[in-house]
Amino acid sequence: MQESKEKFIVPIGPQHPALKEPGHFEFTVDGETVTSATIRLGFVHRGIEKMAESRTYIQNLYLFERICGICSHVHATAFASGVEKLAGVTVSPRVKAIRTLFLELERIQSHLLWLGVAAHEGGFDTLFMYSWRDRETVMDIHETISGNRVHHSVNLIGGVKFDITPEQVKKSLKGLDFLEERAKYYEKVVTTDETFLGRTRNVGTMTKEQATVLSAVGPTARASGVQRDVRVESPYAGYPEYPVNIVLDEGGDLSARFIVRIKELYECFRICREILKNLPEGELSVKVPRRIPAGEVVSRVEAPRGELFYFIKSNGGETPERVKVRTPSLCNWSTISSVAVGHKLADMPMLLVGIDPCFSCNDRLVTVRQANTSQTMYWEDLRKYGVEYYK
Amino acid sequence: MTTIGAMFGDVFKSLFKKPVTEKYPFERKPDPERLRGKLFWDAEKCTGCQLCVRDCPANALELIVIDRASKKFVMKYHAERCTFCNQCVFSCKFGCLNLSHEDWELASLQQEPMTISYGREEDIKFLLEKAAQPDNPETEKECK
Amino acid sequence: MLLGMAYEFFDRKLVARYQNRIGPRWFQPMADMIKLLAKEEIIPDGVNKGLFIFLPILGFAAALTSALYIPMLGFAPAFSFRGDLVVVVYMLSVMTICLGLAGANTVDRFSIIGATRTLTQLFSYEAPFLLALLAPALAAGSWQISEINTYAHNNLWMILTQPIGFLVALIALMGKLELPPFDAPEAETEIVSGALTEYSGRGLALFRLGKDVELVIGLTLIAAFYLGGLANPLDFILKTLGLLLVVALLQSLFARLRIDQTVGMWWRVGALLALVQLLIIVIARLL
Repeated sequence: MQESKEKFIVPIGPQHPALKEPGHFEFTVDGETVTSATIRLGFVHRGIEKMAESRTYIQNLYLFERICGICSHVHATAFASGVEKLAGVTVSPRVKAIRTLFLELERIQSHLLWLGVAAHEGGFDTLFMYSWRDRETVMDIHETISGNRVHHSVNLIGGVKFDITPEQVKKSLKGLDFLEERAKYYEKVVTTDETFLGRTRNVGTMTKEQATVLSAVGPTARASGVQRDVRVESPYAGYPEYPVNIVLDEGGDLSARFIVRIKELYECFRICREILKNLPEGELSVKVPRRIPAGEVVSRVEAPRGELFYFIKSNGGETPERVKVRTPSLCNWSTISSVAVGHKLADMPMLLVGIDPCFSCNDRLVTVRQANTSQTMYWEDLRKYGVEYYK
Repeated sequence: MTTIGAMFGDVFKSLFKKPVTEKYPFERKPDPERLRGKLFWDAEKCTGCQLCVRDCPANALELIVIDRASKKFVMKYHAERCTFCNQCVFSCKFGCLNLSHEDWELASLQQEPMTISYGREEDIKFLLEKAAQPDNPETEKECK
Repeated sequence: MLLGMAYEFFDRKLVARYQNRIGPRWFQPMADMIKLLAKEEIIPDGVNKGLFIFLPILGFAAALTSALYIPMLGFAPAFSFRGDLVVVVYMLSVMTICLGLAGANTVDRFSIIGATRTLTQLFSYEAPFLLALLAPALAAGSWQISEINTYAHNNLWMILTQPIGFLVALIALMGKLELPPFDAPEAETEIVSGALTEYSGRGLALFRLGKDVELVIGLTLIAAFYLGGLANPLDFILKTLGLLLVVALLQSLFARLRIDQTVGMWWRVGALLALVQLLIIVIARLL
């Protein structure tokens, strides 16, 4: 606890009612204005990448699904499609369509969750309660089709587990209609409520150049006008047949991020309806050998928070040699430390939640490389580095 | 055009509507058919290939072979390790496994109800007698 | 005290209903108080021990004392003397100042920020509250609460003759009590409870009880002045509950305002409105 002249360091520390997951932020505050910010993560590191090296590919599918609860299906799809590419297997159009359907349903669920949490950080508990009540409709659709509200476990390596029956289609369509009405209502609330706009307008403004330099991804970048969307740039799964219109906004501040995410909800509804009404034919799964041939593959998908990146390296055996996961929330943190300066302390939680942080996805190893030097760290180097750092 | 209190309509109407909270133990919603609850194993169809044991991400299944030739097996299911992922159901080519959609309230205060042994009556009895005399290693081969 | 807890219960239940969910059961605030009183009181390091223990007691005592002078449950107040309106309002401010001092007392960063916010908000909301209560006093021609009560009872409901004053009083009350949307001093998501962060057990229970009593007093005052006096218990309950309905509605409608927004908005708008109201009354009396 330091107190030097009039500067304070306010920790929004690992345990705090504002954060749903642990992460340490220190804001140096002068009165109510923030003068600098530092971030420290790593509280939820579980050693998943190391665990993956001692499990077979099928077991790994479920391990990676559980990196994050909200974006679980995206991780599983990225891994499954990567392994299928390594094994040289192509899946049928029906499988791709079902995977895409779940990807979009998960995006709906994630954006509704984020809307509630962001409203709660701004003190608007009523919006929080209402949006989570409506999120129950999506969860019910998930449960009817896949059997679980999160961690759907839809994927197999080589296909999906089950099919969608006509009654489920009808039920889902009804649910989607209800949700679309509510989304319109929330758009109206978020853009016209005076008190809410007072909290979100001109807070955390990030220009397009700043967003590009700081490598923001996902809706955070799209709210500043940067055109980054993996579904449009390099379509995967079913997206070539059901193309996505990218949603942009030029504002760059918090209210632009709200608007981008709600407009993405409309896109999700449209794609889900298209898929549900015309499901292509095809078989549900293809046999994939247990030993995957050696090789390396890169798999990129668009999680609700941004671009998710998987690197899978196989050496011909039953277990992968190395899997590297780079989650989108990790990219967006640097935007906070530069944008936070000059804002009031009361805006900090809203800023933090504006990039939609998912701490469980976050704890990976990040090495910042200077210009041209390359750094290959072996196990001994890593241990030495760790010991030095904590001395 | 900005207004004050944009949620007024909804909020005011909620005074007159029933709250959405479900009073859980007394009111329950009907279970969807695909809900993934407790695992059930059919001993008649099993051939002892053990693909399910190998594929389980949580090592929740154990197959104890009593007599391979006449297909006598006992399956031990650790419900506390199971993640209800459904992979074993799809790995099994003979359809021996399925996850029930009615039996999903599995919380308990002790360890014992969590480890469930499935099999024919005589096989389980045989196993329990074997466990009572621990030094006969021939017939009991525990895999994985 | 019991009334305070009952009103806290009604408030929480109403807000919950507005949010389309079931609220707590009727004995919840009492259960909270009993639990808090039973817990260990942890006194943090670096704090003035005497002040730490004394401040909650002082705040609570002030709140209870002011309750003596207002018509609770419609009965005549226990004591009353000329000019007791000023005393009551003063006592209520003592409660808020105790809160601010308690926050400034501890060395914890969150409490200090919370304390600065409380004191800032105190300045901006006390003045309009007093002014808004002054208007009916002027109309009734006295500074004694029981007399204002009888005057309001005998004449037309003052909400109709002084609507601006009513609005100002209601919003100023919400600001004083730190109810959302003016709960920046106690913002849960930003500074973990503000001034009350370090309190636990008995101290916290006393502060919370003090706030509940303040809620009842504030509502009674406004009901007595603007909604035509309180003659009997049934009247009291109906009118204050009606006011609580409106207050709970306002609580659930808005997002939390930042401290600079609350102060900025209110100093200009609120004080101005209250002054306008006073002017109208003065002019009306002179005519």
